[in-house]
Amino acid sequence: MWLYLAVLLLAIISIAPWGYVNKGVEISSIDQNLSQETGLSQGDIIKYVNGDEIKNLEDYSNVINKIFSSEGEKRIEVKTTTKEFVFLSTSIPEIVVKDIEKTKIRTGLELKGGARALVKPEKELTDQEMINLLDLTRQRLNAYGLKDVQIKEASDLSGNKYMLVEIAGATPSDLESLIAQQGKFEAKIGNETAFIGGNKDITSVCKGDARCEGIRECNEITEGYSCRFEFGITLSGDAAKKHASITSNLSESIENPGYLDQKLDLYLDDILVDSLLVSIDLKGKEATDIAISGPGYGVDEQEAYDNAQDNMRKLQSILITGSLPVKLEIEKIDSVSPILGKEFTRNILIAALIALLVVGLSIFIRYRKLKLTLAIICMMLSEMIILLGILALFKSNIDLAGIAGIIASIGTGIDDQIIMVDSAESHKQYSVKERIKRAFFIIFGAYLTVLVAMLPLFTAGAGLLRGFALTTIIGMTVGVLITRPAFGDIISKITKD
Amino acid sequence: MTDEIINEKKPEVNKEKRKINWEAFHDKHYIKLMFIPIVILILALIYLAVFYFANGDIMHKDITLTGGTILTVNVNEKIDTNKMTSFLESKLAGKDVSIRTMKNIYSGNQIAISIESNADSDLIKKAVEEYGIKLEEGKYSIEVTGSTLSKSFGKELLIAVAIAFIFMAIVIFILFRVPIPSLAVIFAAFTDIIVTLAVIDLLGVKLGTAGIAAFLMLIGYSVDTDIMLTSRALKGKDSGLKLNTRLFSAIKTGFMMTWTSIAVTLIGYFVLVSPVLKQVFLILSIGLFVDLIATWLGNLSIIKWYCKKKKIN
Repeated sequence: MWLYLAVLLLAIISIAPWGYVNKGVEISSIDQNLSQETGLSQGDIIKYVNGDEIKNLEDYSNVINKIFSSEGEKRIEVKTTTKEFVFLSTSIPEIVVKDIEKTKIRTGLELKGGARALVKPEKELTDQEMINLLDLTRQRLNAYGLKDVQIKEASDLSGNKYMLVEIAGATPSDLESLIAQQGKFEAKIGNETAFIGGNKDITSVCKGDARCEGIRECNEITEGYSCRFEFGITLSGDAAKKHASITSNLSESIENPGYLDQKLDLYLDDILVDSLLVSIDLKGKEATDIAISGPGYGVDEQEAYDNAQDNMRKLQSILITGSLPVKLEIEKIDSVSPILGKEFTRNILIAALIALLVVGLSIFIRYRKLKLTLAIICMMLSEMIILLGILALFKSNIDLAGIAGIIASIGTGIDDQIIMVDSAESHKQYSVKERIKRAFFIIFGAYLTVLVAMLPLFTAGAGLLRGFALTTIIGMTVGVLITRPAFGDIISKITKD
Repeated sequence: MTDEIINEKKPEVNKEKRKINWEAFHDKHYIKLMFIPIVILILALIYLAVFYFANGDIMHKDITLTGGTILTVNVNEKIDTNKMTSFLESKLAGKDVSIRTMKNIYSGNQIAISIESNADSDLIKKAVEEYGIKLEEGKYSIEVTGSTLSKSFGKELLIAVAIAFIFMAIVIFILFRVPIPSLAVIFAAFTDIIVTLAVIDLLGVKLGTAGIAAFLMLIGYSVDTDIMLTSRALKGKDSGLKLNTRLFSAIKTGFMMTWTSIAVTLIGYFVLVSPVLKQVFLILSIGLFVDLIATWLGNLSIIKWYCKKKKIN
């Protein structure tokens, strides 16, 4: 009984529902330079900005917009839960904030919205190659601006290896190419490669700075609109030398006076993205600053602009991280809209409430004992709390399959309690303890069968149903080890009365 | 006979008679009752065999097991699904299209539609936009499964169910250590799975990955009443209670267990909007009904026969 109460308490602490009382916004991502400059970091909770209290996301954006409603350098004072930070900025600081999580329970893809991709490398990878692939993919997605990303290796019963990528929240529509594109970038002049993607040739890529990146021009074309993006990169010394030696052999173009007669062709995975004219001034020069450009198309100007912006961010991410070691094939890609996820969550809570009422009522009608009915309902609720607490503790995501698992374990929980109550009420010639002990044989037997039935799901189908198996097993283990014995104590007391 | 009714504290004469009749009836006919689940099981197996020869598989599979795209989009106005299906079919020539709607349980309004097709996902998106539904970033859900993966996926999950079943059987044998009662439990679980699958096929439900997981849950739900029954029958003999009393008290407990479970799964089926969860709860609801037959007509009769034969009265 004491064990049960202690675990219940720990579970509540682990779920940490303080978010319902605490106010403020949490930094979900912050520009690296800004972080170094100011000392603010991801996870900090902002309470005040320039003296105004920040209760939620809306307050934050109102205050920030008010500060930057006029031009010029602004002084910003940020007060977090622990410290105060002061910095100056001419533009809205690159800090992405979110409302503080109400609890530590992590909801999965189907409930919160987000994307999941199961990717299979074209050839079998060694462990080291797999680690490299996971690393590169993480870097690339982070470089694109996706921060809440989980990437792990998965395998199935037949021994196939996969990469499983999960991204929380809203996701870009062209996620497929962002993940699976090998991203072999080559800049060629004629047939010679001048430089390639990755940090060997490219030391830095301009990103998020309007002075060296942006959408430069939009034009109407025969089928809709086309916009051009442009951003700067810095070449390494070696790449610049190579670039110089290639251009030194070229001469001025006849069609385009002022430019060289060969263009700088940009290829991504062997497909020509753009051809750039190279100014005659650069002939034979070791230029390290190069502008990269490319197009985006759309039926209207806005769409073309957005596409150009997307393409730019994708190319930037690829240039920063370089190409992936193997070609990848997307086997499964799911993306769930956050709106639909919200609808699902609400719906599930309502269903759970109705189920609780119906079960409670059934038990009351059957046994006609209010105390007992309340005890069973309390046990069901506390079992759910403990299960959620454990899941929060292990930072495991609860998805739709996980919810099915929770229901499965609560369902067997009720069954077990009915067995215990019935055992306690019959076989009166034994002590209550003895009767409950007999009930435990049944409960433990049922527990073992479900436990072994769930085991194959850990690897079958690349482990996509592992969440289901895990929640069921944890839930039932909690039941057998903690809540059922406590319930035994409770019935002993109730039956004695 | 009266001393057999221990649970009834103050038995009224009338009630007592009915009870006795029940037990006498059961004593007389329990062997025949056993044949009901056996006949149902045989019918289900025949149906599945016919189904297999007709369709080349033992179940209808949805996109998650055959490969393809499921596109779910929120809608504000009512969509005529028949009209939309034929529009999409004409656009995606030669490909299957099916549309499901999700309704708000209170107002009955459509909140979202779910389009399933084995056509290329980009083509589907284009066709849906041509129909006049705008797909804004972050406001629709899309699930794309490659056909090679989904095939191996389906195979692996079926293997998982088979392994789970074998594991379960081993645990049952270890628990009871006597062959016939253990086989009775396993037989009940087997009946439950096969008959439920046949009913699902009969209803034309297309199974997805979560649906197969539901069959795994069913193994768990199915055996706990069987374990309860078997252990009451076999291990309760030293309690001094007669066999029929033990069995009938097990029936009482078991019906209560299954009733609460069915109540929850039916609520789940009718209240939830997520098609994935709806399917899980449909399978569990059917499975639990089948379990009532398999356990209380099949397993009960076998264990009663066994106890009488072995004189475990």
